[in-house]
Amino acid sequence: MNNHQPSGISPAIARRWFLRDCGVGLGALALGQLTQPKPAVAASDAMAVRPSHHPARAKNVIYLFMAGGPSHLELFDNKPALAERDGQLPPPSLLEGYRAAFINPNSRFLGPKFKFARHGECGAEVSELLPYTAQVADDMAIVKSMASDAFNHAPAQILMNTGAQQFGRPSMGAWVTYGLGSETRDLPAFVVFSSGSKGPSGGNSNWGSGFLPTVHSGVQFRGAGDPVLYLSNPPGVDDSLQADSLKTINQLNRLRLDAMGDPEIATRINSFEMAFRMQSSAPDLMDIGQEPKHVLEMYGAEPGKPSFANNCLLARRLVERGVRYVQLFHEAWDQHGGLVSGLTKNCKDTDQACAALVKDLKQRGLLEDTIVIWGGEFGRTPMVQGGNDGRDHHPNAFTYWLAGGGIKPGVTLGESDEFGFNTVADKVHVHDLHATLLHLLGFDHTRLTYRFQGRDFRLTDVHGQVVEKLLA
Amino acid sequence: MRMALSFIIVASLLSVSRLGAADKLDFARDIRPILSDACFKCHGPDPTTREADLRLDTEEGARADLGGHFAVVPGHPESSELLKRVLSNDPDEVMPPPSTGKSLSPAQREKLAEWIRQGAGWSTHWSFTPPVRPEVPRPTNADWVNNYVDAFVLARLEQEGLKPSPQADKVTLLRRLSFDLTGLPPTIAEIDAFLADKTSDAYQKQVERLLNSPHYGERWGRLWLDAARYADSDGYEKDKPRFVYFYRDWVVKAFNDDMPYNQFLIDQLAGDLLPKPTQDQLVATGFLRNSMINEEGGIDPEQFRMEAMFDRMDAIGKSVLGLTVGCAQCHTHKYDPLTQTDYYRMFACLNNASEASAPVYAPEQLQQRANILRQIGEIEDDLRHRHPDWQAQMRAWEDMVRGNQPEWQVLRPELDTSGGQKHYLLEDGSILAAGYAPTKHTTEFAGKIDLPKITAVRLEMLNDPSLPLGGPGRSIFGLCALSEFQVTVAPADKPGEAKPVKIASVTADVNPAEELLDPTFNDKTDTRRVTGPAAYAIDGKNETAWSLDAGPGRSNVPRKAVFVLETPVEFPQGAIVTCKLVQMHGGWNSDDNQNNNLGRFRLSATSADGPTADPLPARVRELIADAEKSRSPAEDKAVFSYWRTQVGDWAAENQRIAELWASHPKSQSQLVLLEKDQPRMTHLLERGDFLKPKDPVSPGIPEFLSGKTTPEIRDRLDFARWIADPQSPTTGRAIVNRIWQTYFGTGFVSTSEDLGSQGELPSHPELLDWLTVELIDSGWSLKHLHRLIVLSNTYKQSSAASEELLTRDPDNRLLARASRFRLEAEVVRDISLAASGLLNREVGGPPVYPPAPDFLFQPPASYGPKVWKESTGPERYRRALYTFRFRSVPYPMLQTFDAPNGDSACVRRVRSNTPLQALTSLNEPLFLDCARALALTTVQKGGADDDARLAYAVRRCLARTPSPEETGILKQLLDEQKADFSQPDAKPWDLAANDPANPPALPEGVTPADLAAWTAVSRVLLNLDETITRE
Repeated sequence: MNNHQPSGISPAIARRWFLRDCGVGLGALALGQLTQPKPAVAASDAMAVRPSHHPARAKNVIYLFMAGGPSHLELFDNKPALAERDGQLPPPSLLEGYRAAFINPNSRFLGPKFKFARHGECGAEVSELLPYTAQVADDMAIVKSMASDAFNHAPAQILMNTGAQQFGRPSMGAWVTYGLGSETRDLPAFVVFSSGSKGPSGGNSNWGSGFLPTVHSGVQFRGAGDPVLYLSNPPGVDDSLQADSLKTINQLNRLRLDAMGDPEIATRINSFEMAFRMQSSAPDLMDIGQEPKHVLEMYGAEPGKPSFANNCLLARRLVERGVRYVQLFHEAWDQHGGLVSGLTKNCKDTDQACAALVKDLKQRGLLEDTIVIWGGEFGRTPMVQGGNDGRDHHPNAFTYWLAGGGIKPGVTLGESDEFGFNTVADKVHVHDLHATLLHLLGFDHTRLTYRFQGRDFRLTDVHGQVVEKLLA
Repeated sequence: MRMALSFIIVASLLSVSRLGAADKLDFARDIRPILSDACFKCHGPDPTTREADLRLDTEEGARADLGGHFAVVPGHPESSELLKRVLSNDPDEVMPPPSTGKSLSPAQREKLAEWIRQGAGWSTHWSFTPPVRPEVPRPTNADWVNNYVDAFVLARLEQEGLKPSPQADKVTLLRRLSFDLTGLPPTIAEIDAFLADKTSDAYQKQVERLLNSPHYGERWGRLWLDAARYADSDGYEKDKPRFVYFYRDWVVKAFNDDMPYNQFLIDQLAGDLLPKPTQDQLVATGFLRNSMINEEGGIDPEQFRMEAMFDRMDAIGKSVLGLTVGCAQCHTHKYDPLTQTDYYRMFACLNNASEASAPVYAPEQLQQRANILRQIGEIEDDLRHRHPDWQAQMRAWEDMVRGNQPEWQVLRPELDTSGGQKHYLLEDGSILAAGYAPTKHTTEFAGKIDLPKITAVRLEMLNDPSLPLGGPGRSIFGLCALSEFQVTVAPADKPGEAKPVKIASVTADVNPAEELLDPTFNDKTDTRRVTGPAAYAIDGKNETAWSLDAGPGRSNVPRKAVFVLETPVEFPQGAIVTCKLVQMHGGWNSDDNQNNNLGRFRLSATSADGPTADPLPARVRELIADAEKSRSPAEDKAVFSYWRTQVGDWAAENQRIAELWASHPKSQSQLVLLEKDQPRMTHLLERGDFLKPKDPVSPGIPEFLSGKTTPEIRDRLDFARWIADPQSPTTGRAIVNRIWQTYFGTGFVSTSEDLGSQGELPSHPELLDWLTVELIDSGWSLKHLHRLIVLSNTYKQSSAASEELLTRDPDNRLLARASRFRLEAEVVRDISLAASGLLNREVGGPPVYPPAPDFLFQPPASYGPKVWKESTGPERYRRALYTFRFRSVPYPMLQTFDAPNGDSACVRRVRSNTPLQALTSLNEPLFLDCARALALTTVQKGGADDDARLAYAVRRCLARTPSPEETGILKQLLDEQKADFSQPDAKPWDLAANDPANPPALPEGVTPADLAAWTAVSRVLLNLDETITRE
């Protein structure tokens, strides 16, 4: 079943095809090979599993991208001083050189809207909005000192996902599959879901391949209907006709391979076979009705009703099947107004499922080599926007949490100042987060490069420090 | 001790050198790439990162005295510090240092040693000197040489001990040529005609036919559009549709007309600065406007204007110069001699422009418009002719109206840049709206008026080049609707005591009749919203609004309204006046082009009694202001055009002119760049940060590219002319390399975006230069270049690859065969459309919307709801070039087959081969439409029996006839499917008809089951590797 070598082709061509497309022998190639693939050729063998620079702690990533900019001040970063200063203007020194998106920066402080309590043996502080997440506090590392450079959604999301504010760079998922290849031949290596009230501001470029071969792009899955575009047979085509058609196509392609000797034809044969397999494996994967009731309940997932919870459960099922990088966009966190109601709703929609994902992965032994990341493109201002129920975009300090895959559990790293405005200890810039994630996946972020426009490009550009304190 | 060791290594290395004396090393080919990659980062052009004061990118630098020792001592490897360092075993001493992650191979070290031994010859990087025509080599097998291209290619092959492949058969050749020149497969009739043509120039005739096809421009234009990062939407979060297809059509036409490439570049970079620019020349500047635009809430528009500027620089670098310039945005280039100042001097050439949108007209509309303007001119000429004293009369009128306007004091509001839509206060006290555009909103502007008495407030609507069609509004028509205008006043010394004041009346210089609000602004409510006269702005109803729409051709002009207060406001200390602009006439979707907002406007107040809006247009008022000032004839005519409307005796003529205006065509718009009158200062930006401007810089070009004479560069036009100059060393080479890349899969330089130090060296440097000089000498005729290439025997070779060739030259860099590759996304689509007979070959026009899954355009897949109104009828089957391109939601079929999305310039597409492509071509609706149509046309026209029909269907897809073996395989499928679809419970129409309830008529003797089986066979044919491959 797993030998996809086409029959009836010349042995020499078959050997070359086998070496190139089945991943055999490629594992032994030096990584130097990886840094200089030739565009036309790379696409066909780009998904072979490849060794990393150093032994990896993690081999998969599930990134819960909370698009819109969740308020760290209501969720993780408890600021009693901000409560005390509610209604007062911020000290002018704080605002020097500060640019805000919507508000006049010189707006009054707004005290936190929700209560915090300590949880788990580690005693991490978590908001009352996140009762389920609080239960897995001992499995998580909370980073309260995240910082970004951008304060508008699209550029900030692109920075968080590609390491640059300019469009056109490869996304982190693309870099990871470029570096490690794929563990599955039946599914894409990088899968993207979107839930919430809208799509991410950065659109497709958030999971694009940039200048890397397009095969590294994230593939958008959908929680209902065809999970992958054009997965179903078209009207009038049943499985037997599809199988007969595939057989005929490949027979004819093999004849052409014999005549022309172009290995690309062998790859095409392989692609059609893989497509056919995906037609049965993807619906099977998406059928969460197969999950026992208690698992569905743990996530709050309901078969047939697309939701963030369903996507979390699907993320686990994807990772189980060897999908390298799963990213869930939940664009809902842009609370310029309606802070209380918006956060309450968003947490209700996501909290239980996020925690369930961590628990579920842990129970199955998958958390060891899967990094779960939670966070958005920036945080929110301690200053009010509008009356007294909104906050503006804020890049200087915000919170992320990570779990599994070599992340030190039960730690809270970093601090923001008394207002949650600037980081004051253990600042983790976007590039540092990227460097750390690549490190856990087995890469020296300075050496995972791709030559384009005469330059060796990196996810971290010329920046990034591995955050040692986050490593288990 | 260490030194001594190095010595021994050097010596031993030289003694065992495999490089004999005959192997004369070439600095550019053999040495510079090593130095560039391993050394330039710390010992290159950038002084800020230069170590040990050593630079190895210049000859002087490499030979400089470094305090008693020298990096390079020509002829003396043993004394050259460079060699000691690269050979050292000491991690603290070895170069490049281990921390850089770079190391030299033994062969590279050996080359460096030998190069120094041979005298350390130096030369400028190959692409930085203007190309000169090289000598044409004389290969042994002269019979094979059809033109100069072949001489170069064959000479190289003979050097490598290789032979060219035999010529491809005629059918393959015509199919290849048709794809290459038009992006479409040949029809059966075209193939038959070519096969039947036994004349010696049969092939040349095909070349000329295809070069003259209107589809040639579509094919080559599309490749330029990649480089021009063309897309039909803004990008970023909102990603609104934009109006740029005139640019796309201009590109297609430029290729079809074989516009000289230098002119092609000048028009795109500076068409607006040419004397009396034509509409086409303005449209061409759309190249610079293909940058993305961010209008998400809370942005600083200047930040994203700068992003667009950086993008323009990148696009010019990649697509025109073939160089990477982006690095120097933040710091002096590490590899190429491009300083950060050079970068900002080029930047300054582009920086003095407005991001504008111009009204544009289709060719027939342009004609219509010219006729109308001519007729109006004739009527006016006739009036002047019949009234020789018109000037005296007009002067008398001018004297009468000159002083009849009251004094107005401009209200300069304190602007708070918070909020979604940003407002900027300009020097003249006018306010410019920019950034995010809410569709329903109210803004207030408050400022002090130093008048003891205020009787009225005036609102002027003004033009600005940043507004659509120049404004005055922000709607896609450049207009706006003012739902309500309200005024509040407070004594200047008691701002807390603000009170609303009642507006008694309003006058305006435009008062359109009531009309239902344009459907563009549909707000999904049942409210009946209308626009009309200025009175609608003070009627207390948000459903009615004042509109500036005076009809096509003359609406985008300044306007004004004067609001008279019921009771004059009298505060001895002056007043704080707050004007509230209620703008509720936009649509429901602020993520689309539905705003109807004011763009640029100015508020002022007066103490005069009973003021009314000046009926004179602002320009006329300005022209007559000074009775002493002489006017040009054109200015006189401008005044006349208004004055004649005031002459009662001329009512008939005025009526005729008004009717002519009413027949004026409605314009489309196109994003263009327009030079600003007021220069904008350019600064070097620290690390590319627009908030950190450093020294001012003036326009200029980098020295290393300027050739022998440094031209004076004052503006964008000078810059464009320099770029398009034959002496500009990389311009010609870059386009020749890319055209070659399109024919052979890889350019002479595979890194077609970078011909600089870090790029690959050319595989055939002499041929590249020869073709470049040939292009320039032909008057920059790209068709001439195409002709040279496709007429060569190199091009005509078979693409079949032997085992030997595959092993020896897998990427076909030596050109001992033709290249075989899967075609571009658009061509893949067009092949199916053409093979099926569905293709609509119309050229040009607005983008179309072939079928796509609706959910992609709705949240949460898309950020905002997007409109994708699926095209029906022939528009559904236009060439893929015309498919609407949203940047954030790329058209799935095109994206899957590697079409770039326009985020940045792309001069080299990747070519992937994936299961998602297979799923798409198997299952996507339009592919299925094509399979059905191919089946129907096959049973209708393919012949009497299945063998004939199979041959027919195969020829429509592959041009060639099937082999018996292939026929057998296809027939088996056909027969099985006929049997299956003949079963009683089978539903053949489900497969064979787009609408099973309305199946197509069948030829006699053909059953629905037959057609279904043929649809299955057609689907197979459209999915073959060969079908989407150029062989």
